[in-house]
Amino acid sequence: MEDLTRLTLKTAEELGATYAEARFQSDIRESIVLKNGVPEVSVIEELKGFNVRVVFEKSLGFSSTNIVSKRTAKDAARRAVNIAKASANAIRKGVSMSGEKLGEGKVEIKPRIRFDCIDLNSKIQLLKEADKAAEESANEAKAKLPAHMFILDTIKTEKIVLNSDGANISSIIPRVALSVFLTAYHPQKGSAQRFFNLGEVAGWEGVEKWNLLKLLGEEAQSLSKTLMEARSPPEGEMDVVLGPEVIGIVCHESCGHPAEADRILGREAAQAGETYLKRDSLGMRVGSSVVNVVDDPTLPSSFGFYLYDEEGIKAGKRVLIKEGVVSEFLHNRETAAVFRVQSNAASRSVAYDREPIIRMANTFLEPGDYSKEELIEEVKHGIYIKNFMEWNIDDRRFHERYVGLEAYTIENGELKERVRNPVLEITTVGLWSAMDAVGKDLEFQAAYCGKGDPMQGIPVWTGGPHARLRKIRLGGAKA
Amino acid sequence: MKREEIPSHLVELGIKFGATDVAANLIELDQTMIRFSNNEVAVSKNFREVMVNVFVMIERQRAGSTFSILSFKALERAIKKLVEMAKISPPADVYAPLPKGPFKYDPTLLMPPQVSFDQNELVSYVKEAIDGASKSGAKRVAGSLTSTNASTVLETSSQASAVQRRSSLEMSVRAFVSEVASGHSLSIAQSKRDFQPAEAGRRAGEIAKMALNPIEGQPGRCIALLGPMIFAHFVNQVGIQSSVFMVDTGQSFLIDKLGSRVASDKFTLIDDPTLMGTYGARAFDDEGVPTKRNIIVEKGILKTYLHNSTTAKKFRAETTANAGLIVPTPWNLVVEPRGKAFEEMLSGIDRGIYVTNNWYLRYQNYRKGDFSTIPRDGMFQIKNGQIANPVRNLRISDNMLKIFQKIRELSKERLWIKWWEVPIPTLAPYAIIEDLNFTKSTM
Repeated sequence: MEDLTRLTLKTAEELGATYAEARFQSDIRESIVLKNGVPEVSVIEELKGFNVRVVFEKSLGFSSTNIVSKRTAKDAARRAVNIAKASANAIRKGVSMSGEKLGEGKVEIKPRIRFDCIDLNSKIQLLKEADKAAEESANEAKAKLPAHMFILDTIKTEKIVLNSDGANISSIIPRVALSVFLTAYHPQKGSAQRFFNLGEVAGWEGVEKWNLLKLLGEEAQSLSKTLMEARSPPEGEMDVVLGPEVIGIVCHESCGHPAEADRILGREAAQAGETYLKRDSLGMRVGSSVVNVVDDPTLPSSFGFYLYDEEGIKAGKRVLIKEGVVSEFLHNRETAAVFRVQSNAASRSVAYDREPIIRMANTFLEPGDYSKEELIEEVKHGIYIKNFMEWNIDDRRFHERYVGLEAYTIENGELKERVRNPVLEITTVGLWSAMDAVGKDLEFQAAYCGKGDPMQGIPVWTGGPHARLRKIRLGGAKA
Repeated sequence: MKREEIPSHLVELGIKFGATDVAANLIELDQTMIRFSNNEVAVSKNFREVMVNVFVMIERQRAGSTFSILSFKALERAIKKLVEMAKISPPADVYAPLPKGPFKYDPTLLMPPQVSFDQNELVSYVKEAIDGASKSGAKRVAGSLTSTNASTVLETSSQASAVQRRSSLEMSVRAFVSEVASGHSLSIAQSKRDFQPAEAGRRAGEIAKMALNPIEGQPGRCIALLGPMIFAHFVNQVGIQSSVFMVDTGQSFLIDKLGSRVASDKFTLIDDPTLMGTYGARAFDDEGVPTKRNIIVEKGILKTYLHNSTTAKKFRAETTANAGLIVPTPWNLVVEPRGKAFEEMLSGIDRGIYVTNNWYLRYQNYRKGDFSTIPRDGMFQIKNGQIANPVRNLRISDNMLKIFQKIRELSKERLWIKWWEVPIPTLAPYAIIEDLNFTKSTM
């Protein structure tokens, strides 16, 4: 495929593109769906094709095709240049690419256990056993699991990225992912629901590591206990300890997204929105001095793993918030040129037919010094929120809400009763400024982040340690 | 072999390799999208692809595949692999043979007129939208224009055979007068005749101008007037969650509600893919069954879930021609209008809040319908029957069933809505909700 990808690139340059970039991408996904304990369907998806992105007279054009031949390779280049030309009279400032040192080489993650070494029946059997463990755990807690669904994916992604400035990167990355949806039910208590993802860059060994029987048993038991035992949360001002799953989503929504430079420039305004941060917000305090939030695509086995982005820039850790102060934005070459900085390799695309745009990879709060027990010991009256179900944030990334699922009261430094759906409804700066202590543990969760038009759901990890907020009013503002 | 012959070839091969049922379709797509922001084009994109989807059953064992066509030999390998996959798959809980054809389809639904792909014309639509918003007072305008021509060739082993052409134009435009004063509007159409990019821009700009200098909103319960964009988003929840797959997996607040009241008697929701000339019109579903007009909710009573033939057999119902081979889905949602005009509805509200749009809707519990979502773009206090101050920074935190049960009135004006947050095209009116819960962040 490299020859065809190169032909696309060469044709775009010959047609007058001042910048051209061509990418071949193949995503082969095998999925099995277990619905209410019964196999629903097995699915194979093979999406292969290439795209070309060009700058012509400061106008950005993109075209893609999954018909792979010399003719369509040239045609894709012609379409990208023509569409950029046609739009050139609707451009004012236009687009240019920052000057960068570009990568050449190959990235290959070899699975320890290849996907084809595990037959379909073994995969389904594993899910059925995990499903049974979940049902038994719910029953032990005197609840039922009337609705539950697991979707298990194995994915192999191959890419070739070439551009007219000299990048030449190929990569082969395997991923495993599991989506879990559980409903616990009791005729008198009603229902409680839990949704979560697992995912990482790995072969089948990644799935084995998850220990699904134990995990699903614990999840179903906890959900059932929440349904059966939880009481209304206390009201008023109190301290709140957040678990890594909640910290992870907070980092992603209120640190990662606001730092995307394309939002700052308004490029996503009509869809995913903008940000409360501005071009001159670097150095602005948004949290207490214990807050350090980073995004690191290079974390081994992470769901958002990559070593070079779609523009051929070598990836590294990005420090978004350092000691409570905005430290770095996420850039591609287009925004780096506007900001007059270097790209920090945030350009990602989910498929051959999607333009690369600025994305997070693995966004997390860096660990501190406290054990979980120490964080809780120092709370006289408060609440511990381990995980969540409902959440959202406004499109300027400032007003957010996280509704806890598994949560407990804390009285005099000890975890006490389960509470139902405590609501943390707060601003970004309010939340991060209330943080006074950060745990030394570190956990990650898989997620698919949505952005772009057409929508691109891209694999990421979110995470962090336990952390403590002081003097939080649960339930949001009062009239 | 011609491209359009591939589905029938795959059906033949699938049966030869041992499948009892095969449905194959080939989708050919030519789509252009122009994204714009800060009053200029940000990127122009063209997508061309040919995709094959095949679904095979060996009675209760089933497997599905989506793939690009790399060669005809690769096609044969792919269908062989798929049938082998079905053979080793444990059986599902029910087997319903694919519905028996041949079927007769409405020829005008099969062949709507194609839209133009003249690049200069598409760019002129973008300029019209930007100009329309700017003339209304917008300082910055962003959005996307999408032009699509597509065809689907369907064959099944039960003699369903058809070709569906599909064309559409979509304009989504968001106008800003300040960082926190914005308006959003749309125009979606199956043909150029009904496409109004300038009007979409004008509406977005007007809302943005009205939203200038918003004050902080106050949390609490009050009467709410919902514009067509946010109401379409809520209606999508009813439409999508009426799929029996969603009910069966616990992802629906319509569980156990068949024949029961789920909304005010003023609310009637129809899935109507037979509405000629509309964005979501189509002649057949993914099993080849001719589509039909299904009343989902009639005067507040849930009349049906949406089915394909397999879910229909499992739940002892008839297919509603909404296949999705695994997940039944609505095609083209229509809310029945009522008699009052928007201005008349507004004049009947002493104190309330008018919400034009929203985003980021997430459930605490699908089965119960507890959720929250965030109003965005113009939101206004209503005082003495008139739009008063713009307000900001409120969240709707409520229950979906309760909202639909508290519909006081729906307007006679309706708009077709489909955009990033509203995936199913929906003809939606303005709605007055008797009592809606607004919450707010602590600082």
